[in-house]
Amino acid sequence: MLVLLGCVMVDVAVIGAGQTKYGNHKLGLKGMWAEAAENAYSSVDLDFEPRQIDEAFIGSVAFGGAQLGNTAALLTEHSGLDGIPVRRVENACASSGFALRDAWMAIKSGQADIVVAGGIEKMNDLSAERKRFWLGVSGDTEWERLAGLTFPGTYALMARRHFHEHDSSHDDLVHISVKNHMHGFENEHAHIRKQVSFEKADSGFMVADPLTLYDCCPTSDGASCVILAADHVARQFTEDPVWVRSSGAASDRLALHDRPSVTQLLATQKASKAAYSAAGLTANDIDLAEVHDCFTIAELMATEDLGFTDHGQGGVFAREGRGVRNEGDVCINPSGGLKSKGHPLGATGTGQAVEVFKQLRGTVEDSRQVRDAETGLTHNVGGSGATCAVHIFGRERNG
Amino acid sequence: MDEHVHWKGYLAVINKDGLFIQSSYVHGDQVVYGPDSDSTTMAIAAIQLMRNKGHVLESIHLPDSVDARIVYLASGVDSMAHNEGLEFEDIVWDLLSGDEATLVISKSNSESYDFEEPQDVEIIDGDFFNDMTEAWRLEQEIHHVSQGAYVSTSQYLEGAPARLSLTSQKAGDRMIWPPRQLDENGLRFSEDSHQLVAEAHVESWTKLSAAGAPSEFSLRAPDPWRYSDSLGSIRTRARGVFLVTDDLDYSPEDRRYSALCRTANICARRDDAIWTQSVP
Repeated sequence: MLVLLGCVMVDVAVIGAGQTKYGNHKLGLKGMWAEAAENAYSSVDLDFEPRQIDEAFIGSVAFGGAQLGNTAALLTEHSGLDGIPVRRVENACASSGFALRDAWMAIKSGQADIVVAGGIEKMNDLSAERKRFWLGVSGDTEWERLAGLTFPGTYALMARRHFHEHDSSHDDLVHISVKNHMHGFENEHAHIRKQVSFEKADSGFMVADPLTLYDCCPTSDGASCVILAADHVARQFTEDPVWVRSSGAASDRLALHDRPSVTQLLATQKASKAAYSAAGLTANDIDLAEVHDCFTIAELMATEDLGFTDHGQGGVFAREGRGVRNEGDVCINPSGGLKSKGHPLGATGTGQAVEVFKQLRGTVEDSRQVRDAETGLTHNVGGSGATCAVHIFGRERNG
Repeated sequence: MDEHVHWKGYLAVINKDGLFIQSSYVHGDQVVYGPDSDSTTMAIAAIQLMRNKGHVLESIHLPDSVDARIVYLASGVDSMAHNEGLEFEDIVWDLLSGDEATLVISKSNSESYDFEEPQDVEIIDGDFFNDMTEAWRLEQEIHHVSQGAYVSTSQYLEGAPARLSLTSQKAGDRMIWPPRQLDENGLRFSEDSHQLVAEAHVESWTKLSAAGAPSEFSLRAPDPWRYSDSLGSIRTRARGVFLVTDDLDYSPEDRRYSALCRTANICARRDDAIWTQSVP
């Protein structure tokens, strides 16, 4: 046990986690959040009541501008959490990854015993024009967006450069797309539940050359909710906790032109390095990873930046199927990832944690279960990599 | 003798007394600015060409159709519309706007000017031109939410010299472009500036379809795609993302290109904001 300045550092457990289905949701913000919270509450094994929660952090980009201020207060009011300290956390698509980190820190600091981390986004009831506007608000507005660059365009620039510098090609991205659709096919919470052949994924219409439709994640509605507890209270709620073994986070320059390389995300490298170090683990110890594949090239680069393969080898990693469930070295995106499960911006980070929680407890659909899963990782990226949060979860606590 | 010049997408005729410049596009029987240009953009190009030919322009009389502030930010050429302290009689150049997409720069004391007719006009796709014109009209409507970019007027003006004239910050040996505020030691970057060379090395590039483009640009995007972005390293080691227009055969990465610095600027003002399409 680590003792610092007279304080005992507590370990943090996940005692419950739930989410809505991702996709075109009929419910509004309040309804979606209530459903995700309800699913999280009911996933707690033993007696649990929402009023036992001390604090809540909810990630959201507030897509469309609906309830842009005091979002968290409104949502928690409708989920049995009246009166507790709450706040909205915003870091673009990494909003709830950072909400999770904030919740973890609240418990680590000793200020709270039971904390909710969640996320929410309602994206599909806007006009096409407003949707496009809000999809781009997290980019570099002054220099990239004024030059007409969108996120598909940004990741397309990364992809083309990666193909130029390394042994990679669009075929490798197709392999990633096919894999993630295959992983998400039987996920009851996934937005797009259909398998695609290599030929079909290779022939999608072009969005931003070289990225096609099958390289891009969908825009989804959804909410997700994770309940964290300090080690000294966790056993009141479950005999089967999943431990948050570490949290790492970092930032990078917002615009591509200010980064030394556009084929690496330094924020991912820094965040994962911190997370591995704190957990005393390496990439080789990870059984499954939910990585931020907003575009297939993002997953390819993430497998490098997270250390699952060497820099420049992400194409080979994808080509050889090394991220395929129960076949490869490590299962990359067992949920189907953003590509298949969907990407409700602010909900994505804690949605990844929901998947890892269930995988490590063996409660996903049988056909989706990663065998012998002991350690999982979540990787949540904001925009084109300006922010990143990495969390490592395990059946065991840190030694 | 008049010299005919193709300059930044325009047709120009230049002689010792001044310059005549017009859009290269003809729609029906009328010369039009084209899909992404206007009188301010053409005025900036005209001033740059005059200087390129050795004329000294420090100040100029501008018509109302030309945005004096943008001209100053892009070229450093002052005008009474921008600077009330200028004396009328001290300004030796006039810029005159024609009825069509034409401009003339001449000495203020010239009584007449005479230029030969420019050659090589290009007939613009009428449907495309009309669609773009309508899209820009909608974009500039007071109630319209800009789909592509939104920055405050202050922020826009702060970056305008770098955007419109490729002026970089200079910190020792480092060229910093676009401009930055504080360095890694928390100290403000030097205000020393440096003129970057308008030549870049393409690191990466993409072409966007309508599905991948911001909506105000999406009209440019359908096949054959006319809308590209590139990540380029300017020769002096600064880097930036550039919108490439009017280039159907765009060069792939790791090639140099020098036609980088056509400055197209379309901007509209709406209360507290300027939004712009800018092509350094």
